[in-house]
Amino acid sequence: MEKIKGPWVRIGVHALLVLWLVYSATPFIWTLLNSIKLPRDFGTRSDKFFPFGDGLGEFSFTPVGANYARLWLDIPAEQFAPVAFGLIGLAILLIGVGAQANRLPIPPSSTYAIITAIIVAVVIILPNVVDMAEFYDYFLNSIVVTVATVVVSISIGCMAGYALARYSGILGVVILFTALAFRALPRLAFVLPYYYIGQLTNLYDTRLLLIITLVAVNQPFTIWMLRSFFMDIPREIEEAAMIDGCNRFQSFTRVIIPIMWPGIITTSLFTVLLAYNEFLLPRILTQTNTTLPAGIVQFTSGEDAGFLPVAAAGSVSITLPIIAVIIFFQKYLIKGLASGAVKG
Amino acid sequence: MKRDTFLIFAAPSVVLMTLLMVIPFGTAIYLGFFNITFRSINDPQYVAWRNYQEVLTDPGFWEAALFTLIFIVVVVPLHIIVGFAIALLIDQTNRSRGFYIAGSLLPYIVTPVVGTLMFRQIFDRNGLYPYLLEQIGFDINFFISGDMVRALILFHGVWYITPFALITLFAGLQTVPKEPLEAAYVDGANWWERMWFVVVPHLRSLLLFVTLISTMDAYRIFDSVFILSRDNPRYNAETIMYYTYNTALGVGRLGKANAMAVITVLGIFFILIPFLIVTYRQQVEER
Repeated sequence: MEKIKGPWVRIGVHALLVLWLVYSATPFIWTLLNSIKLPRDFGTRSDKFFPFGDGLGEFSFTPVGANYARLWLDIPAEQFAPVAFGLIGLAILLIGVGAQANRLPIPPSSTYAIITAIIVAVVIILPNVVDMAEFYDYFLNSIVVTVATVVVSISIGCMAGYALARYSGILGVVILFTALAFRALPRLAFVLPYYYIGQLTNLYDTRLLLIITLVAVNQPFTIWMLRSFFMDIPREIEEAAMIDGCNRFQSFTRVIIPIMWPGIITTSLFTVLLAYNEFLLPRILTQTNTTLPAGIVQFTSGEDAGFLPVAAAGSVSITLPIIAVIIFFQKYLIKGLASGAVKG
Repeated sequence: MKRDTFLIFAAPSVVLMTLLMVIPFGTAIYLGFFNITFRSINDPQYVAWRNYQEVLTDPGFWEAALFTLIFIVVVVPLHIIVGFAIALLIDQTNRSRGFYIAGSLLPYIVTPVVGTLMFRQIFDRNGLYPYLLEQIGFDINFFISGDMVRALILFHGVWYITPFALITLFAGLQTVPKEPLEAAYVDGANWWERMWFVVVPHLRSLLLFVTLISTMDAYRIFDSVFILSRDNPRYNAETIMYYTYNTALGVGRLGKANAMAVITVLGIFFILIPFLIVTYRQQVEER
């Protein structure tokens, strides 16, 4: 629509939008504040808004990291301090190297690979050096499950999505609409039998069961979205490749996939979010070996108010990676949401 | 593409979906005919239609179904209206739209369980909103009565799902053609008239799409109900999904829960009938 002119209109529009953002973000800010409060500051009906120590009188509280320590560590926070400084130093070093990757004598891609390898190594070695709490296990499970789900889901989804975009027979239509119908079904209709089957086969409480079920449950969404991206690629491209001597599979892997990257990144991003955010499946299919969303729930049960600031710290810890995703992949996210037609 | 090539490419995905969705769904229908509890998990007893009978005469189930329906009727229209209004506002801005959109995304993209936990913390006894309400003279405990928790579930539903309508409709607004708008302007139509007679008809199929998706999602709302009404039978603020889950893993009646899930599936198709009719009419009109 056309823009409405006039300075007061502009000010009004921005004022309303800022109000809207405040409304959207208040729970996040409030939880962030709660996560750095001591139980005594948390427990009173709260007029403690500012983490400034005594700076603003009764409205302020002293920020502490105790809740995060209690969440992540099994040892007193003081013992962890040297390790923490080491990790922060390493993080700064890696970010610095990453930012200067173009100026180093080795190619940037291998620099990023080395950085990734170092991060993975640290994540694996850390619990052997320091006693980490259960939350760290949930964190590891979440990473493993999310990465495995994305890799498997996108690999088989790409092949199916490509085939569905290029095949015009009736079978393709049947598959697409069956998938859509299963997308509409309440999950419990096929998740409850997983529980039963999992109990019978001893796969209950394993990451493997979680991964294969997550891949299957998200497959309808994945193939619909990838198919819509493959439809945007003109057929002439692979026809040319096949005239030049590629077979169908070669033209798919060597010609189509390289130009599909934006679509693959967008779809992967949504698969990451779906796998990372999933609650029902880990809640039903795991008990101890669970992921972050199902793990954090244990801090909310019962009347023990001391757990609530820890739950706040957990909420913030789980949210930070998602905020990073919004910041770095905003364009892909909006493109994926706006492309419509499908959603997890 | 030839049929054989198609089959080879589609096989892994189709086999997986068959193994883990079509067959389990069949299993759910099958298990619905058995009495299975945690103790008798290896020894199910065939009880014919008794589970289905029991579900359909269970007042708790109907109460949950009613609240699920209320949730759909309240949240779906409300989130579309709010989302459309905000989309129009963002459409009026220039450079700052990326910032506003990214900020708006937050409630929708954050892990639903965690988003609900945060939402809960702000309404909890020690939370910000009870404090602010106390300052203007209302002393309210939001977690004392079932109706209050129900209201919170509805409010959270709108807070959580609005960004989806917002982003989709904002993208739709960018595709509204200029010529009919200018023609309407020349003909003397005011802002509301142009909105109602040019923009909304253009977005009709998109509005239908958003309604369809959000109805399906609202029907199976689970995560937020789990967090907001957990651990307290008094709340009783259950949706169908939560009631089914509780029957299966809380009470341990797996057979009955499977029957319930099957009935729930029939329910969503029943609810979607009006949408299918509207879509069909649109298709016919366009021809």
